[in-house]
Amino acid sequence: MSVGEAQRQVRRPRKAWSDVAFNVWGILVMVFLFAPIAVIIVSSFNVGRLLVSWDHFGFDSFLALLAKPAIQDAVWISVQTGFIAALVATALGTLAGIAMARHPGKWVWWFMGLLLLVSVTPEIVDAVSLLPWMVFLGQDLGMAVFNDGIVRLVIGHSLFSITVVSYLVRARLVGQEAQLEEASADLYATPTRTFRKVTLPLAMPAVFAGFMLSFTFSLDNTVIAAFVSVSGSTPWPVYVLSALRSGLRPEIAAVSTIMLVLTLIALGLVALVLKRSGDSAADIARTMGGG
Amino acid sequence: MRRRLPGFLLAAPAWAWLAIFFVAPVAMVVWFSFGYKPSIFATQATDKLSFDRYAEVFSPTFFATFQNTLWVGIVGTVLCFLIGLPVAYWMAVKAPPSRRGLLVALVMVPFWTNFLVRTIGWQVILSPDGWLSTALQAVGFEPLAILNTRGAVLLGVVYNYLPLMILPLYVAFDRVNGPLREASKDLGAGKWTTFFRITLPLAQPGIIAGVLLVYIPLMGDYITATVLGGAKGNMVGQLVASQFQTAQNWALGSAMAVVLIVVILATVAIGAAIVWFVTLPIRASHRLVIGAPATTPASASIREEVTA
Repeated sequence: MSVGEAQRQVRRPRKAWSDVAFNVWGILVMVFLFAPIAVIIVSSFNVGRLLVSWDHFGFDSFLALLAKPAIQDAVWISVQTGFIAALVATALGTLAGIAMARHPGKWVWWFMGLLLLVSVTPEIVDAVSLLPWMVFLGQDLGMAVFNDGIVRLVIGHSLFSITVVSYLVRARLVGQEAQLEEASADLYATPTRTFRKVTLPLAMPAVFAGFMLSFTFSLDNTVIAAFVSVSGSTPWPVYVLSALRSGLRPEIAAVSTIMLVLTLIALGLVALVLKRSGDSAADIARTMGGG
Repeated sequence: MRRRLPGFLLAAPAWAWLAIFFVAPVAMVVWFSFGYKPSIFATQATDKLSFDRYAEVFSPTFFATFQNTLWVGIVGTVLCFLIGLPVAYWMAVKAPPSRRGLLVALVMVPFWTNFLVRTIGWQVILSPDGWLSTALQAVGFEPLAILNTRGAVLLGVVYNYLPLMILPLYVAFDRVNGPLREASKDLGAGKWTTFFRITLPLAQPGIIAGVLLVYIPLMGDYITATVLGGAKGNMVGQLVASQFQTAQNWALGSAMAVVLIVVILATVAIGAAIVWFVTLPIRASHRLVIGAPATTPASASIREEVTA
């Protein structure tokens, strides 16, 4: 590696043009990736009736949020849903991930197949399938719990997150040998105790990353939410989607800016935890890319 | 071993959850697709099963939308690949190692920003009375007229799915990085030869992952087309959604969803077959190099990666 590094240093003057081209392209693409986000952040400081037309700078849109219970409710529903969905996905995914890593067998292939199927199914298909299914469970079978807005959202948002948490936990444990667990069992720890004191701590960085990722997934989810949500528990993205038809106001940008800051904090935490547990940038990229 | 219960039972809750809330609903939609819409007040009935809804799916309107979706899906994926490949290579190979973490973080921020909000950002940029349009007019151009066209949808999907292409490619290039490429250079291969004969073939798993991660959700996209496409930029996702939400014809909507899945799977299979045939001569000439008996642990592990 160091030899390669040195070689590159020596050769640099000769192939400078291609390096420059790569740098320019890379920076251009980064600008492209951030352009609409920058526009939204700038728009949130727009004082004007509509998001599209710039009037002048001010904090009015942020202050206006205080007088908009509909927006506050939508954000609160999203946060609640995100938290519960992340809990459900993390619990189910962690157990499944541990089972896949520590109790391998033919069933793992079937289970991985199911997870793959869930993660490649377009969201719109999940959405249109869940809508009649919730109606069937809630109304035809009379299970009232499935008429509850938050329950429906949590179920819809948990599907993809379960697959991500399972992949993450499995990947983390497969990379570490089972010797510690065997030692714990040899020292007469009960299986439950080994699980709590050894296996779970080993898997913890992945569990934490999975939880945070599930939370942001849920906060983001628009398509499934738009189909399964019931009036009275409209999550934030669905609120934005309906505002799209009636005209976007700067308040939408203001909330988006706040949410962006919160997401960045969450992601920063995940990156920090993964880095502490010894992941390289590529490992983190793989983890955050969802397996 | 020492356990009383079979360990795979730990996965049972996840099995059950996914069976009840994924397998069963999708199966129900497949079943609905053989039914019909009995009256304007009912969404679907399945007492008479037929393929009529599938015949209805292939009406001229739907067919045009499907062609449009396929066009956006294929062109969008190719553009993501062409734009993302140099970026991933730059991040993994050209950029100084100390800055790689930062670059990965930079690609992830847009990926984790709300999909809908990002797309609305483009709506603001492309709007005919937005600042870009005003600036262009000041220099003497026509007002921007890209919003609500297929071009805007293409721009939107390339933007929205580009991080999903860059990240797996970055991971793949990062893995190839190092001794093997140095060896190729030391043996006299030029930059291009090294890239096409060493780096690219070894990055194959990442390329496949990137293409699938972009193409599959792109084909089912609903948000981008709704925000940027208007009436001209229709995609299948919107048609399916409108059957469930406005037309209340669940039978037809289900048939459309099933056709969408089948088309995605079929095009992926066809694409894989095409790539397999096109690269046949290349792989044949590579076999001598890569298929040589493993003499060192390093080359053995490389072989594993190639076959994986």
